Amino acid sequence: MAVATQPREPAGVDENGSAGKPARGTRPVSGGASGDSAVNVFSHTVLIGWSILVMIPFLWALVASTKTSREIFGDPWALPASPQWSNFSSAWDKGVGDYLLNSLIVVSGGVLLTMLLGSMTAYVLARYEFRGNRFIYYLFAAGMMFPVFLAIVPLFFVVQNLGMLSTYHGLILVYVAYSLPFTVFFMHSFFRTLPTSVAEAAIMDGASHTGVFFRVMLPMAKPGLLSIAIFNVLGQWNQFVLPAFLSPEKPVLAQGIATLLASQRYEGDWGALFAALTVAMVPVVVVYLVFYRQVQAGLTGGTLK
Amino acid sequence: MAEVVLSHVGKVYTDGTRAVADLNLEIVDGEFLVLVGPSGCGKTTALRMVAGLEDISEGSVAIGGRVVNKMPSRDRDVAMVFQSYALYPHLSVRDNIGFGLKLRKLPKDEINSRVADAAEVLGLAEHLDRKPRNLSGGQRQRVAMGRAIVREPQAFLMDEPLSNLDAKLRVQMRAEIGRIQRDLGVTTIYVTHDQTEAMTLGDRVAVMRKGVLQQIAPPQVLYDRPVNLFVAGFIGSPAMNLVHATLERGDGGDFTVAVGDQRLQVSEKVLSERPDLERYVGKAVIVGVRPEDMEDATVAGDAEGRTLTAPTNLVEPMGSDVMAHLTLAARAAVTEDIKELAEDDGGRVLDESATTTTIIARFSPRTELQVDDEAKVYVDTDRLHYFDPDDGTAIWGDDNPATTTTPNTSQGTTEGEST
Repeated sequence: MAVATQPREPAGVDENGSAGKPARGTRPVSGGASGDSAVNVFSHTVLIGWSILVMIPFLWALVASTKTSREIFGDPWALPASPQWSNFSSAWDKGVGDYLLNSLIVVSGGVLLTMLLGSMTAYVLARYEFRGNRFIYYLFAAGMMFPVFLAIVPLFFVVQNLGMLSTYHGLILVYVAYSLPFTVFFMHSFFRTLPTSVAEAAIMDGASHTGVFFRVMLPMAKPGLLSIAIFNVLGQWNQFVLPAFLSPEKPVLAQGIATLLASQRYEGDWGALFAALTVAMVPVVVVYLVFYRQVQAGLTGGTLK
Repeated sequence: MAEVVLSHVGKVYTDGTRAVADLNLEIVDGEFLVLVGPSGCGKTTALRMVAGLEDISEGSVAIGGRVVNKMPSRDRDVAMVFQSYALYPHLSVRDNIGFGLKLRKLPKDEINSRVADAAEVLGLAEHLDRKPRNLSGGQRQRVAMGRAIVREPQAFLMDEPLSNLDAKLRVQMRAEIGRIQRDLGVTTIYVTHDQTEAMTLGDRVAVMRKGVLQQIAPPQVLYDRPVNLFVAGFIGSPAMNLVHATLERGDGGDFTVAVGDQRLQVSEKVLSERPDLERYVGKAVIVGVRPEDMEDATVAGDAEGRTLTAPTNLVEPMGSDVMAHLTLAARAAVTEDIKELAEDDGGRVLDESATTTTIIARFSPRTELQVDDEAKVYVDTDRLHYFDPDDGTAIWGDDNPATTTTPNTSQGTTEGEST
């Protein structure tokens, strides 16, 4: 700007004047920027440290799954001389295939049902006023604080009496009950943020309450649904205690790996154990990698005003 | 298409606040009725009761002859345009517009052709496959309109549909809404706080204040014959100038209005139009004068007994005319109505004790008036408005249609009302 080259020009209008005298005005800003970058350096250092902490065991297990037992113990950090893909087939022979299938069925059923029931409950609690609304909501919130270990013995008998021990549907129902409180809690706050006018527009367009929920509100809640779905997939995939008690005959992956680990005392096939671990980890990573962009986009995109 | 009738409609919220009181409106088939008033006057609540989004506490609403009090929104066959547009963000423009038709299970071909027609009318044809987030504000507004049009409903309900648009677009869309409504001939209730929108769009305009209907009339009647100070101050921009004055009857029988120390002569014609003025002789009144009813006397020519002088404190040339802010030596009218209007106006400060009033006059651009000049102002005294200083009602006579019912509690009936 012309005025900027003539800082002594007295007749500068305010806006131009500030452009003409940048030195003093910008110093605190640049100071702020360097302060920001200090924070940036710090937070990035922490984040880098964190990701190393997460990555190293993961990669180590991944690499170990292609090594022989001798290599694993002889030189833990080295790469395998030649990748032992046979570890996977021997893990598979030890029943990992069945465990994986059990896990996939139980977790997909559990997550689907959790999402359906959880979002419906949360929607009603968030957007309808009725007597007892708060009570039900707090009941769910209390459910989050209840340690499942405390209930494991009575739960076992309940499931046994229902004849659902070691069945898919038995485990799925227990998983759903286990995941509902947080799902409801999370989706409740999400549904509250959605604009009421869109729901009203759908009502005016002729939608029923169910129609408003399934056709409008649920699609609008997609970012929230995806986040909580990932959370539930992780939580249910990693379940060990519940299936250990309730599904001894149809073990899921976590149980299977524990069995494998226990059997190492007699067999010593550590490579197969790590292969099984990899089989257990990879689906979770894949789920995350597939959905994280949508979750991010959804969360930053916000709702349309 | 149908008539919409509100009789004795009231709304009381569960916490006891009253939003609407005894509202009577009869909107004839194909009419464009505008509900206008400052924020919190109950206009949106009234609209939402017609829509079925709000329970009706008292009275009844009938659409096309059916009382709809207990009828859910979707059976009322009315379409609404929301202030925030309320588009479905996950659906394309095509699906947004066709949503209502799809829910009604119309055949696909029918939906497609109706959506295409609506898009044609609104100039959205090439945007049909885009998502709302990729549209501009004006386009989103059109989609919201399209969603209403395509349903071919009994009535359109519009809740401040233009208030999220910038000024230029607002003018453009305003004209478009007017055109579309005329072409389709659908009964429309339109809520706004913008009196320009109200005046330009409405076949009739209903002014509300604190849940109470003040006056319902065609725009020009509302402008020329406001029933009270509130309507007078609300309709018109710049607003009507309101000052305290006294009515006097001179020795020769001539009738004058004393504004401060100055006097304006009023013709007998005005007295015959407003016989009630006779009762106010010798008493205080509030006199209102619209900016355009004043002119620079050096341009208009001097007229005996029809000029005021006042120092000029601001001159705003607008091109087509000049807005002169003058300091008139007369007490400003400050009543509850005016205070509320000032609040709605962004908290304009009113000084009840001041002995001068700033009035705004719309002068011809040929005026040579400068700041600090002593302006000589010609006042069209035939067009002065008179109000009772106590209750703020306009002073007419019994025969005046604008005052046949008590203002402030119910509507002033007008020609349009009886249809």
